[in-house]
Amino acid sequence: MLKVEEIRELINLVDQSSISEFTYEAEGTTITIKKESDKQAIVSGLVSNVPAPVKQESVRVEAPVQEINEEPVNVAATDNTAKANYDYEIVSPMVGTFYAKASPESEKFVSQGSSVDNDTVVCIVEAMKLFNEIEAEVKGEIVEILVEDGELVEYGQPLFRVKSK
Amino acid sequence: MESTRNKLIQLLADSSEKYISGQLLSDELQISRSAIWKHMKELEKDGYQIEGKSNKGYRIISYPDKLSENTIRWGLETNWIGKSIIHKESTTSTQHIAHDEARNGAAHGTIIIADEQTNGKGRMNRSWFSTKGKGMWLSIILRPKISPLQAPQLTLLTATVLADVLHSYCNVQPLIKWPNDILLHDKKIVGILTEMQAEQDIINYIVIGIGLNVNQSKDDLPEEISHRATSLLIETEKEHSIKALIQEILTTFEKSYDQYIKNGFPEIKQKWESYGFKIGEEITIKTLKDHFRAIFLGIEEDGALRIKRMDGSIEKLYSAEIDWFEK
Repeated sequence: MLKVEEIRELINLVDQSSISEFTYEAEGTTITIKKESDKQAIVSGLVSNVPAPVKQESVRVEAPVQEINEEPVNVAATDNTAKANYDYEIVSPMVGTFYAKASPESEKFVSQGSSVDNDTVVCIVEAMKLFNEIEAEVKGEIVEILVEDGELVEYGQPLFRVKSK
Repeated sequence: MESTRNKLIQLLADSSEKYISGQLLSDELQISRSAIWKHMKELEKDGYQIEGKSNKGYRIISYPDKLSENTIRWGLETNWIGKSIIHKESTTSTQHIAHDEARNGAAHGTIIIADEQTNGKGRMNRSWFSTKGKGMWLSIILRPKISPLQAPQLTLLTATVLADVLHSYCNVQPLIKWPNDILLHDKKIVGILTEMQAEQDIINYIVIGIGLNVNQSKDDLPEEISHRATSLLIETEKEHSIKALIQEILTTFEKSYDQYIKNGFPEIKQKWESYGFKIGEEITIKTLKDHFRAIFLGIEEDGALRIKRMDGSIEKLYSAEIDWFEK
């Protein structure tokens, strides 16, 4: 896991560079840093009635790093207030392959914006040919899907962000 | 109805060679003699051969080989598996029924069997070949009190059960391709699909689906799979009783499962490795972002695939597409 100083240094480097998004993955820890572009800043400035992010897990690059003890470390600077507007994460109960649909031909179980109930199946995680249907276990709306179909996921890795109702 | 008929079979079976009088049956079951006669007719439809003699009574001459709740239950000496049996002549998939039943509270050990599946489920819904009366299509509902993290071990356990039954009962030499396909002469004969409904730390239920090719001839197998699928008929050159195979599988499964719950995975691991396909050999592993050759060393304490990369590093894998046959 990275030290606070190292994360700070990463943030500075990204800040000074021309890249707008940076992801670092090691030993089960994922760090994503996103920069707000000027254009987006204007947009969000115009839409003044957009609610503020519920959770201050997302920080601007200049802001002090928060909650770095949590795994995975989340340093995602938001470029879209709706995306950050979540209060629940559906995590993987096991190591395995994430499947967004029941078969390659099927529709995805859920997409961004889908409404879910406690027992809505949101994905399948497969390990050693055991197919685990993951239920939302929360009532709300999917605001972000964090992994892609066929990707390997770790135990406890966040898969979906949900704004609960 | 079902239980009266079972009691009737039980009574007839208990008296075995001897005749049992219609009056006695009527007293025991507390139904009229004409009702008994109707039950007898139903049993004959199920394939039982019953002899009725005036002044003597009834006796069973032979039991049917046809699948039904009754014929499977009869002679099945288990403690908890198959106490509740659902049999369908035709269904889309025994897995579908099992999920519905499990959601409605079906007991641990409930089994679902079908003579034919019209839409068998394989990995990622790839259909599994299901001809009427020629294959065994079985789903088992389990409610294990183990962590969901351990649940994948049940797929390996099921594979060892099938390998044991094929080996001892059908006298063939099966191999298990990780994690749970059974091969005879490099061709697939059994497919196993395990599906789970669980919360973070508790299993609601698990459904284990088993498809076994029994009496399909070469012509019965679709051409596109005939080079990588086989059946017991093809391998042993004789027909096998599906009913007897189901009973054998259930009995062996129960024993193995009880031992697993009591002693954990080590015994299963040892047995699994004794059947392991290509242990010590090179295989090709594909993940979404990677593609590499590695040596298959065996399985880990939790059932995961243990491999050695060409640079010597050792890894464990829980999920991967593996090309087992690439040269």
